[in-house]
Amino acid sequence: MFDLFKERYSELVDDAEAFFSCLDSLQPRSFRVNRLKSTPEHIKERFSEYGISLEQVQWYEDAFISSEPEVGATFEHFTGEVYIQELVSMLPPVVIRKELEKARFVLDACAAPGSKTTQLAAIMQNRGLIVANDISYNRIRALKFNQEKAGAANVVITNRDLRNFPKNQFEIIILDAPCSSEGTIRKNFGIPSLWSEKHINNLARMQKQLILKAFDLLSPGGTMVYSTCTFAPEENEAVLHHLLENRPAKLEKILIPHLKLSQTVAEWRGTEFNSEVKNAIRIWPHHNNTGGFFLAKVKK
Amino acid sequence: MKTEFLTYLQERFGIPANLFDDFEFYGASKGRVYLGPKSAISSPEPVSVGFLAARIGNSIKPSTNLIQLFGKYATKNIINLNKENTIKYANGEDVIIDSKEFTDGYVILSYQGSPLGCGHAKGKTITNLLPKAKRLQLKFL
Repeated sequence: MFDLFKERYSELVDDAEAFFSCLDSLQPRSFRVNRLKSTPEHIKERFSEYGISLEQVQWYEDAFISSEPEVGATFEHFTGEVYIQELVSMLPPVVIRKELEKARFVLDACAAPGSKTTQLAAIMQNRGLIVANDISYNRIRALKFNQEKAGAANVVITNRDLRNFPKNQFEIIILDAPCSSEGTIRKNFGIPSLWSEKHINNLARMQKQLILKAFDLLSPGGTMVYSTCTFAPEENEAVLHHLLENRPAKLEKILIPHLKLSQTVAEWRGTEFNSEVKNAIRIWPHHNNTGGFFLAKVKK
Repeated sequence: MKTEFLTYLQERFGIPANLFDDFEFYGASKGRVYLGPKSAISSPEPVSVGFLAARIGNSIKPSTNLIQLFGKYATKNIINLNKENTIKYANGEDVIIDSKEFTDGYVILSYQGSPLGCGHAKGKTITNLLPKAKRLQLKFL
């Protein structure tokens, strides 16, 4: 896999050496404070009593990097006051925090295992309604466990293929699409053995169906966050391009102070993407010592 | 069912009913009661609504998750565990408590002001009611 992988991303990143050496390094342990049960101040105090040093993440005050890998053995993990989560995966709810404060009807379209669902519930302070949907009944068990543990009461769980989801009008949709997960290589060591361009193309075909369907489920004026944890332009820019070519969608610029964001890819293998696509962002692992991520804010 | 449950929380633990004004209770099979949003959706039909708040049978047993979220508002039948007993409780073991501050029945267990979950008191023995999936070997507390 790696030759093809290296070849394809060497031309897309600013510093290939830094990028590949970052992928070989372990990712820092991070978690999020669950504001339904606790506060960052309280957690800082408790962890300091344990002798665990924490770094509060500059771009999101609820997020911390921990010097202690066993955050899972803390009292606060037991009580659901903290939720172990990769930093960049916290981004979709973060970029719509303002919209979420007044939102009453939200869809987390591919919700398992519930990291984003529980984060949404915390931001919404258990008000309104979150529909947490997942296609896999098996994964819903983990979603349910995490949702209950977090105390997220404003959640209903549905088990549908999003493509057959009944007509609804959501104010906000989080579409964290199933993807080839290249950006999680630093912690999921099995990713390289699954990697192939065929796999990427199959996922891209599904993502295009998902994004059109999700857009159709948005109410007028509604907001959708499309995200993946992968680098492949087929699964990112090309999916947005497909949406823009088929629906009257607009992309809103994303600003996240204190996080280094990168531009999208303008063209890939002969396709020049719709100029609106450049309002989306890429996050390369070596820029912020995180996983890789892609994020777009879509307005209807 | 809702009134019965809210009265119980108030009488047994002093947890005020108005904390639940923004929520709705949903009954399910085997006496299960779920705490969920004011209004759910009907299409598609949900797999679950909110989270398990209690089981109502011969007695009313509040869930661990309910206690962890609302236990801090309780004023009675709370037992503050020491470190050793907190480790035992998280591990699924029963604990022995010699105190007059609670009566037989369900009690809220907490550690340094944070509610952990629920136990059943009979005399000095507090039976552990923590679901198996939630058991944890605590190293930092």
